[in-house]
Amino acid sequence: MTREPDFRELVGEDLSPEERARLERVHELLIEAGPPPELTPALAEPDTAEPEMPIQLPRRRAGAMLALAATIALLALVGGFLVGRKGEGFPTARSFPMHPTGLAQNASATLDLGKLDQNGNWPLRIVVKGLKPLPHGYYEMWLTKHGKPVASCGTFAVGTGESKVRLNAPYNLGRYDGWVVTREVPHTAGHPVVLST
Amino acid sequence: MPAMATNEATDGELIVRAGDGDRGAFEVLYRRYARPVFGLALRRLGDRGRAEDAVQETFASVWRAARSYKPERGPGGPWLYAVARNAIIDRSRARSEPAVEAPDQESHEAGPADRAETSWTAWRVHRALEELSVNERSVIELAYWGGLSQSEVAEYLGIPLGTVKTRTRAALARMAGLLEGELE
Repeated sequence: MTREPDFRELVGEDLSPEERARLERVHELLIEAGPPPELTPALAEPDTAEPEMPIQLPRRRAGAMLALAATIALLALVGGFLVGRKGEGFPTARSFPMHPTGLAQNASATLDLGKLDQNGNWPLRIVVKGLKPLPHGYYEMWLTKHGKPVASCGTFAVGTGESKVRLNAPYNLGRYDGWVVTREVPHTAGHPVVLST
Repeated sequence: MPAMATNEATDGELIVRAGDGDRGAFEVLYRRYARPVFGLALRRLGDRGRAEDAVQETFASVWRAARSYKPERGPGGPWLYAVARNAIIDRSRARSEPAVEAPDQESHEAGPADRAETSWTAWRVHRALEELSVNERSVIELAYWGGLSQSEVAEYLGIPLGTVKTRTRAALARMAGLLEGELE
């Protein structure tokens, strides 16, 4: 619980009584209303992709079968493939390749997707090579909607050679259409994409 | 329709356009109301996942029902509020009933009428916040919900204290105008 702001400190003393009363009413309403919530990544953009039904209506609690179906649909969209790999300490259920953009032409990566846990987490692992180490920055994995990075799945650094990093996606994957990796450097604008599915 | 004209349109005008299939108008409505709807849903449902679903259902209903909106019956904000409330109630009913009824006991929580009034207030205030510039909204959010004094807001944003005070007063005055006009 944060402290309530002091109305006199906010508006000062040089106000007419009428204006003071008007602003004080807003002050009271703001306190009564409380803070608006931040939109979750899934709500950041309206989904108007389908011609007949402007907004898709995924049901996040429709059960494991629907979650599985959504995941399969996503994988079909992004060109994923089943490999059923085991070992190396990560229970890979599915893998799909990530391709470099012009910003990282020598990079390549494989994204491994584990099994959804009971709390709604999708374990991820990226195996990447050819990305430049960033002494003053980091890389970030995102889920995309209409190709735009909208839901972060975590950040990571790389060394020279091959890097294996575990990440997590606590989202309903059926709401997204792919993954990208962006290069994040403090005090620079945007999220330049270096890898995408 | 030029983007600027769409952004400056009233809620009612946007609903009418959405009813005619104008996706741009629909998207402006979404940007204006997504946070108020999400806030209302969270308040009523108490669960982010279910609240997300309620937001999706609300805007699907807006798209489907926009043709039924009659501007002569009132502004768009209350119409949207009613659509959102119905979607949230539907989502609330979808919750499984408790197996055992709770014993009667005195409740210190607000009654339905009080809760409805608080929800309506929050809806209007959150909607008005969306009309502020980013600079104005920042000083309001930091002061009211960030727990910062005006000096701390100035330090946090790296701007002079006088600018914080000017922006705060301007933001409150703008919200007063919006709330008096009931956001038509």
